[in-house]
Amino acid sequence: MLTIIKQGWSTFKSIFTGMGVTIRHFFGPSVTLQYPDERYELPENSRAKLYVNIDDCIGCNLCARACPVNCIDIETVPATADVDLGKTSTGNPKRFWLTRFDIDMAKCMYCDLCVHPCPTDCIYMVPEYEYSEFDRTNLIYHFSNLEPEKIAEVKEKAEIEAAEKKKKREEMQKAKAEAARKKKEMEAKKEENEKSGDDDNAPSKPESDGGE
Amino acid sequence: MNSLFLTNILNLPLLVHLALPLTIILVYALVAIWGERKVAGFIQDRLGPMRVGGWHGWAQSIADLLKLIQKEDIVPTNASRFLFKFAPFMMFAASYAAFAVIPFSSGYIGSNINIGVFYLLAVTSVLTLSIIMAAWASNNKWSLLGGMRSAAQMVSYEVPTIATVLTVIVVAGSLNLMTVTEMQSGNDILGFLPNWFIFQNPFLIVAFVIFFISILAESHRVPFDLPESESELVAGYQTEYSGMRWAMFMLAEYADMLLLSLLGAVLFFGGWNSPFGDFMGGPVWGFFWFMLKGLLLVFVMMWIRWTLPRYRVDQLMHICWSVLIPLSFINLVLVALWELIF
Amino acid sequence: MELTTILFYLFAIVTISAAAVMVFSKNIVHSAFALMFTLIGVAALYVLLYADFIAATQLLVYVGGILILILFGVMLTTQGRTFSFKTSTVNLTPASILSVAAALLLIYAFVQTDWKITDSGVRDETVHELGMMLMGEYVLPFIAVGVLLLIAIIGAILMSTRLSANNDGEV
Repeated sequence: MLTIIKQGWSTFKSIFTGMGVTIRHFFGPSVTLQYPDERYELPENSRAKLYVNIDDCIGCNLCARACPVNCIDIETVPATADVDLGKTSTGNPKRFWLTRFDIDMAKCMYCDLCVHPCPTDCIYMVPEYEYSEFDRTNLIYHFSNLEPEKIAEVKEKAEIEAAEKKKKREEMQKAKAEAARKKKEMEAKKEENEKSGDDDNAPSKPESDGGE
Repeated sequence: MNSLFLTNILNLPLLVHLALPLTIILVYALVAIWGERKVAGFIQDRLGPMRVGGWHGWAQSIADLLKLIQKEDIVPTNASRFLFKFAPFMMFAASYAAFAVIPFSSGYIGSNINIGVFYLLAVTSVLTLSIIMAAWASNNKWSLLGGMRSAAQMVSYEVPTIATVLTVIVVAGSLNLMTVTEMQSGNDILGFLPNWFIFQNPFLIVAFVIFFISILAESHRVPFDLPESESELVAGYQTEYSGMRWAMFMLAEYADMLLLSLLGAVLFFGGWNSPFGDFMGGPVWGFFWFMLKGLLLVFVMMWIRWTLPRYRVDQLMHICWSVLIPLSFINLVLVALWELIF
Repeated sequence: MELTTILFYLFAIVTISAAAVMVFSKNIVHSAFALMFTLIGVAALYVLLYADFIAATQLLVYVGGILILILFGVMLTTQGRTFSFKTSTVNLTPASILSVAAALLLIYAFVQTDWKITDSGVRDETVHELGMMLMGEYVLPFIAVGVLLLIAIIGAILMSTRLSANNDGEV
């Protein structure tokens, strides 16, 4: 009988304690944010959306390599000798045309790893989080500011220059090869004349290199 | 009953008699559903509905009602068509019919019959049957389980409810709710307290606690909402209902809640009597005080809903049969003794 | 026609047609719900006879109690039988003889009895008189019925607990 009364008392006590808690919250302030009418100020370095300051980008590709999910897609074309692309605001010279700089925010996992390698601090997160789309291809952001015609022109120029350079290099290589061959022939003639016993050591060397 | 019903009709046009409680119930249901969501919100440190209608989303229930009206009325293929369609209306009819004997103010009561409380309890017992009807007709296992639970629960909790009502009747000496209310007018206890039954007799406080627990169970409120426990039975007996028929169930449930709260206000808190004696008395203020007391009890029900977790079925039955029923009968005897001695 | 008369015929029709549905329905649950309408109709007829207390008791006990127990019984027993059980007649000859005899007896009693039709007058109060009679004149039968019900309840509890106690003992 006593235990029943005790149990009953503790039941009522706990019920009233609980009701006291709920009534305190009833009169307490609410934590709701009336979302579309009011918004949170996100902290400055919050990770919400990637942004690229394309004027400062030197096309080094470090961010794309750092990205663990490959959401950054960069295509660069080397600038030809007749144009000067200027310098970034941090003083680095720009040597590439950025024909493509796409970030797929649908893939991005907000790890911030692309931000830190950037030598010119041109890629960073901005606190903007309202960018839902009906089509997920709209989540690919194109940061390159070159028009298609310009891209084509730049590419053509670069190709011509590259071809010229290649030609030059080939000629140079040919000349070099020629010189090397002549030198070798001369040396061979010398060796034949001397006739030393170096044959045993020569094949063993690459094998030990491969093992390491 | 019959004659008084007829004489009452002569005093007021029949239409007014039918429309007045209905208007009260409908307006109350709209306010209560909105209020419940607001109470839930505030207790959980939220705001509840805020957008419809401007100030604190007051028009939310109206918008919901309009939505429900437009919804398709779905009857499951294997349902028992007639019973399925009939059950919600019977449920509402049962709770609405019980409002006939509630004295809304000193100037208005639907039917001033001598067996008031008894009639009220008899008519509300039909609610159980309409729930079983809905549950069985849906031909759905969740519905049936909910219906069976609700039947077991309501039949069981009717006993302590009636026993506690009887306690008050012993003190009042009348089944007529108007007479019961009139007996509680005046401020004589300790010089200032109103003559409400809850202050008149210490055992009636115990009776009120038992009564309140029982009406929580009878109107399927948390912590006794097993018939529609959404985490296990989807929605209990309402699972297959949609649109206006579901709205009817909702309306009946809220009406039942108000009915039992108003009954509690009549039996224990002086009905339409003002707590300040003659100050702010009269029929119009009487209506105000009566609704205030009823809605306060409804608020406590909502408050409990967002405080306590749900009981298990066996715990529910244990509370009723081995705690509340013996306690209410012992209490009845004690109250009778008290009345005999003092 | 008076309102009371209209109401009488309305409720009489409800009672009788619901009773017919109850008897002829092939679904036992439908029968049970038809029984509900019959009982409510009878309660309404009690009201028209100025027997308000009996009417409310009818609702509370039969509709709110016994009918729910019936439904419980139907639903908790084998489900296969609730749908379209057999309603073909057996023992046709003795049954018809018996019912015809009963009908004749009832009609004979109805015709032969000297019905006293008195104007009982408008009655407001039956509860008070009823209570006085139950506690005064009929106190012995009242208490006897109470004791009988108590014995029945105790017996039911005893049977159910002994059953479970035996089960516990075996385990």
